[in-house]
Amino acid sequence: MLKRFISMLILSFILLCGCGPAQTIKPGDLVLAIGGESAEGYDPTMGWGRYGHPLFHSTLLKLDENLNTINDLAVSHTVSNGGLVWTVRIRDNVLFSNGDPLTADDVAYTYNTAAQSGGKADLAMLKEAAAVGPNRIRFTLKYPYIGFIGKLRTLGIVPANIHRTGRNYARNPVGSGPYKFVSWTEGQQLIVEANPYYYGMKPSIKRMIFLFMDEDTSFAAAKAGRVHVVALPPILGKQKIPGMTVHPVRSVDNRGIMFPCVPDTGKKTPEGYSIGNNVTSDIAIRKAINYTVDRRLLAATVLEGFGEPAWGIVDNLPWDEPSIRIKDNDPATARKILKDGGWVDTDGDGIVEKNGTRAEFTLLYYSNDSVRQNLSLACADMGKKIGIKINVAGKSSDEILRLNHSCAVLYGYGSHSPEEMYNLFHGKFAGIEQLNAGFYRNPTVDRYLDKAMSSSTVEESNRYWKLAQWDGKTGMSVRGDAAWAWLVNLTHVYFISDTLDVGASMIEPHGHGWPITANIEKWRFTK
Amino acid sequence: MNIRLVSLPNPRQKSAASITACLILLCSLFILNAMIDETGLGTDLGRRYLAPGHGSILGTDWLGRDMFTRITKGLCMSFHIGIMSAIGSSLIAVIMGLAAAVFGKKVDAIVALLIDAFLSVPHIVLLILVSFTLGGGFKGIVIAVCVSHWSRLARIIRAEILQLKGSDYIMMSYRLGRSRRWIMAHHMLPHVSSQFLIGLILMFPHAILHAAGLSFLGFGMTPDRPCIGVLLSESMRHISTGYWWLALFPGAALVALVKIFDVIGENASRMLNPRTKQE
Repeated sequence: MLKRFISMLILSFILLCGCGPAQTIKPGDLVLAIGGESAEGYDPTMGWGRYGHPLFHSTLLKLDENLNTINDLAVSHTVSNGGLVWTVRIRDNVLFSNGDPLTADDVAYTYNTAAQSGGKADLAMLKEAAAVGPNRIRFTLKYPYIGFIGKLRTLGIVPANIHRTGRNYARNPVGSGPYKFVSWTEGQQLIVEANPYYYGMKPSIKRMIFLFMDEDTSFAAAKAGRVHVVALPPILGKQKIPGMTVHPVRSVDNRGIMFPCVPDTGKKTPEGYSIGNNVTSDIAIRKAINYTVDRRLLAATVLEGFGEPAWGIVDNLPWDEPSIRIKDNDPATARKILKDGGWVDTDGDGIVEKNGTRAEFTLLYYSNDSVRQNLSLACADMGKKIGIKINVAGKSSDEILRLNHSCAVLYGYGSHSPEEMYNLFHGKFAGIEQLNAGFYRNPTVDRYLDKAMSSSTVEESNRYWKLAQWDGKTGMSVRGDAAWAWLVNLTHVYFISDTLDVGASMIEPHGHGWPITANIEKWRFTK
Repeated sequence: MNIRLVSLPNPRQKSAASITACLILLCSLFILNAMIDETGLGTDLGRRYLAPGHGSILGTDWLGRDMFTRITKGLCMSFHIGIMSAIGSSLIAVIMGLAAAVFGKKVDAIVALLIDAFLSVPHIVLLILVSFTLGGGFKGIVIAVCVSHWSRLARIIRAEILQLKGSDYIMMSYRLGRSRRWIMAHHMLPHVSSQFLIGLILMFPHAILHAAGLSFLGFGMTPDRPCIGVLLSESMRHISTGYWWLALFPGAALVALVKIFDVIGENASRMLNPRTKQE
């Protein structure tokens, strides 16, 4: 009764303030409340779609459901000159949604613009993209960089003649993707229609309306039957919604504890932030935490069952090293690791010490993220059992950027490209904002990462990505240096209307954008 | 006549009785707080979402933390925050108000300007600014609330005293040769003491709610040491999922705490207000 009343209250509120959506929805429209509103707008050269599937745009390559790289706009691509030159041939006769032809010049323009903008698209490795024929583009890299294939999969192509005018492209994008942009009321809704000129399989859904609401409002709207697809936090995943079925999607959207890996010697970053932590820089502490946390329990309880244990940053992807899985929930081993590392409780207060240093450190999380908060609290109590005192504190993202070189932080990552692993664990990114925030540095790992990045084939690079995690002697993972304590991979919770068939969804990356729409062409109404 | 005097206490006695009752309630809260140990604050993932009565008095939350412990500890924490910041900001208000009214035109102009300036800035902006600068936590919240909330009360007190200055008995006191300071201490302060008390009471729930808001935004208390506002904001989501006890009990506890202060304040003001104290 109470639930009903509150849903009604929230709903009437939506109806009062947001009459827009109610008026424009027509029969046959698909209504989604899955977030993904991009504050910066929808310009791929500024970072839209960097987690994949820009929807209005098409990319040169893409991933299929099994995470194989397949062609999208491209018909073929070759790598030559030791990984420095990438040549891509694109389809003929592709049109943008406004009817203009898409040519190699548009592709070159998109890549050069994105490289120069310095935005989140991050194309620092690209020297130049040049059209060498009506449908051939040659990319010249500054250094061999296998991660470039990830860019080919995520960077949406923009029409040069429209984008160049600079007339607020981000708020009025034109592309060659399966859908074309119709309108966007910021903070409320975004409407797209099927692109009549799309070269691929024509989607059966003609019009989609994305509603932007917070999670609780989405939940109320779903209960009232006003949306077909809704993304909800795990805590609401156990709820029943009439006419909808829960659709859990596995992801590499992981959560883990980043440890500062160097001791505090009073050094500061150029910005004046302290570096290092005398407790977490001890490998015994990091390993002990890794061994004692009960990942399965965290997934089953904090995530309400919508999650799986996480062991690394790239779980279940083709470059994941399977042997990094350990037996966790093992306080006995953890205590032994601590004891062998010199950490003993000498004063009987339940907290271990080593050379007068108490095993106590601060774990930060983004204060507006309840899942991270709950994970932090649960881990703190798991740490207490083996004599490690973890003080938990919620901070804003700005504050965390100042503290993340000296405090442990509960972060979330997860990408379809191993580039992220390179950015987080390579010594050369130490102390650069939140890349390698913990100043982790292992020359062997760095060498593997470099070799992986400069490989000329994906298969070869995958071999080195795996070695960087654990090569039998060392590595970044828990078997080696335990630079992080990875905890869980989220399972993204969607509720899908029983009238809609969305096919099989692929493993999703960290939550930005609309990953579930990756196979939008296959969606259809069944009733 | 005699019988009536015995059976019906006069209003002053009634007020005193209510105040005593409230103080006893408050004291019992502190005694309770001292008696409960902190194990209930820790997570226990095997005992999640227990309804009230199933092994714990007020149920457990989504991490298996005992709600009774959290509410008691939270109430005490909120009480501390509330009382400290309410006293702080009312003191600032009284000092400002008195200064404006007593020290002549120039000081009055400056205080009036300050009051206007602080009233024109949205509370939450000032709160975040101050609390952020001070690094959050208990101290951050208390000082932030003090700094941002004195202006409304200061304006009332200033007006009250300006009005008082023109009243006959103050004029007479001047004529009789009393100094400004003496008049301030003996005539004005007692007169505004009731305003002070009312201001203090009104400030109290404000302070608690702002502490909650700040904690929610990440500038205030951390959730492992809950204040009642944190409990309430956390429970928001759980209302729609049917875990009613997570919201009901902290809410009721907050209302009770505020009501206790209300009763104390009302009765105290009845006993202290120059217009009603002789009843």
